[in-house]
Amino acid sequence: MGWNMPRGVLFTCIVVLVALALIPMADSRYLIDISTEIMVYALFALSLNVIIGYSGNVSFGHAAYFAIGGYTNAILLTTYELPLIVAFPAAVLASGLAAAFVAYFCTRLTDIYFAMLTLAFAMLVWAIAFKWRSVTGGDDGFVGVTVPEFIDGRVPFFYFTLITVTLSTAVLWMICHSAFGQTLVAVRENITRAGFIGVNTRLMRGAAFAVAGAFAGIAGAIFAMYNRGVYTESAFWPESAQVLIMTLLGGMYSFFGPAIGAAALYLLERFANEYTEYWPTVLGVILLVIVLVLPEGLVGLFKRVKARMVGGR
Amino acid sequence: MRPTLRTTVAAAALVAASASLAQAEIKIGVLYPIAGNGAVYGTPAMHGHNMGVDEVNAAGGILGQKVVSFARDTKLKPAAAAAAAKELITKEGVDVLIGGLSSAVGLAISEVARQEGIVYIATIPKTIQMTTTKLHKHVFRTSSHTDFEGDAIGQIVNKLGKNKVCDIQLDYAYGHDLAAGIEKGLAKHAPNAKKVIDLRSKLGATDYNAQITQILGSGCDVVTSVLWGSHFVNFAQQAKPFGLFDKVTYISGGEIASHEIAGKMGKDYPDNVISNTYELWYDHSFPGHEKFQADLAKRSGKKETAMWPVLSYTGVKFIAAAAAKSGSMDADKLAAALEGLTIDTPVGERTIDPKTHQANTGQFWGPMVKKDGVDYRVMNPVTFYPATLD
Repeated sequence: MGWNMPRGVLFTCIVVLVALALIPMADSRYLIDISTEIMVYALFALSLNVIIGYSGNVSFGHAAYFAIGGYTNAILLTTYELPLIVAFPAAVLASGLAAAFVAYFCTRLTDIYFAMLTLAFAMLVWAIAFKWRSVTGGDDGFVGVTVPEFIDGRVPFFYFTLITVTLSTAVLWMICHSAFGQTLVAVRENITRAGFIGVNTRLMRGAAFAVAGAFAGIAGAIFAMYNRGVYTESAFWPESAQVLIMTLLGGMYSFFGPAIGAAALYLLERFANEYTEYWPTVLGVILLVIVLVLPEGLVGLFKRVKARMVGGR
Repeated sequence: MRPTLRTTVAAAALVAASASLAQAEIKIGVLYPIAGNGAVYGTPAMHGHNMGVDEVNAAGGILGQKVVSFARDTKLKPAAAAAAAKELITKEGVDVLIGGLSSAVGLAISEVARQEGIVYIATIPKTIQMTTTKLHKHVFRTSSHTDFEGDAIGQIVNKLGKNKVCDIQLDYAYGHDLAAGIEKGLAKHAPNAKKVIDLRSKLGATDYNAQITQILGSGCDVVTSVLWGSHFVNFAQQAKPFGLFDKVTYISGGEIASHEIAGKMGKDYPDNVISNTYELWYDHSFPGHEKFQADLAKRSGKKETAMWPVLSYTGVKFIAAAAAKSGSMDADKLAAALEGLTIDTPVGERTIDPKTHQANTGQFWGPMVKKDGVDYRVMNPVTFYPATLD
């Protein structure tokens, strides 16, 4: 398969990128804000899909690495006044290393036991953020994150996010479509058979977990600067559940599905909040629809509709 | 062509007129938890807010323009509150932000206000950071804060002549801040008082048996605390069988003297509790309170109204007064007008300190006692502790 994108996907990506790059021309602060947030959540969901869609494990604690990236970037930029060129990679490294550490234990298990252990570690991260008040600000949050001058503005920050998320997505695409990615798919499809052909399945699953954690850290580091703050809730289980729903809504067996799911869920939540106070009810309906009607997410639905149209039925 | 041209011009004029009408509004972005678990606080706060806005509009609006509110649910989450605040500013074009509940949410909204250069009035959050380390040009607080609460507790301990203090707080930012406030209050007003034991309970804890036995074993004669809401309800239910409230005086911040708690607990409310509240529906010590409470009762649909509305109501009145003073809704001018501004509220006069941007919001403190004819406790005598640290 290789790293090359199918022509149709590449064309769609270019159109989306050009459209995103033109958003600041619309001179709408609102549009810039929601686009920035959607890009961050899209990367967050894409990172989770390395675990779910490619290695075939379910993580209930992915928010932990988003939070670690956010807190590390915020603390290094603000408390230690380090430049972004140091703080940002350090945040990504911290998230990746934390994920690798957790993976060492979690990959001993599979299925629901794996998922529950990821949740347990994520809650540990939350508890550290909550209790280590002198460093993280505790439940008041780490507020007032220093943002480097060159991206301290709505439009510069938007382009910084666009470039970072685009590059990260491109790297994720290469990882997922490399021999490593294809091996992960083999592990997902039949872990026993993959083991028999000589694949170190535990190492592969652990590596996928660490990669996912590092990219979640990138999303978290951007979000901390965007919000000028990081809060303990970023590591709390509802955040992990939200990114899981984004991934499922978009479609976990498609590379870009989670990004579409992130955009759809984010926009639904935004508009629902503007017109009703019953977002939890809306979310419940979305979950029901995913389970009952869209088991392969929005991308699966699109493929089914396309197939029906091409088939002339 | 002519009729078409005329029609076009008329349509354009109509659009322009509607646009100018649409602009002739003062927009307030309101941020409270109005759904889910937080609605128990957010819904009454919205009653007070809407009442304030209706009164302002009935009196001619702000700068002759109608006041319109855009309410958003903060979900008690700082990131959600920040996103909602940004949306209110960038999409709805609000002139000012108001609200917040928890400290984290208040700080998150304040950070958005700093970035966007818009005035934010924190009506409920109490974190001391907001008006100290995280203070900026556009943030103002009209609720109390933990140092004021701690100072009042220090004064009460001194009045009671008690010397052995047990302190039990919730293990999170508000609890830590209040513990520090109590330390300062005790050092200032009751220097002979000694803290015998320091206890920390988990936020959301339901089991207090370990702490109760520690308090009983420590020999203290007064307990200082901020177990608010359901924390206090659980603590009291578990401590009563041990006779804890017969052995110590329990002084608590966290507004457990409000009718929300006293009414909910009814006959289960323990003896020997001295606590605080921003407002009491049955106490008309200040002029204007009786009318305020009657109007609020109509709006809430019950005689025994909650304490939160007075806070959100006061926030609206501060905005109206500041706009009248500055003659503008420009954020910098509004902020300048808020500095040192004094207004009358149903619970007394309030002034915003020009340096700290903190209003001198005092609270009512007193023992919660039984009253004939009702099955809930009331505060008697009611003492107003003004918010001064000098």
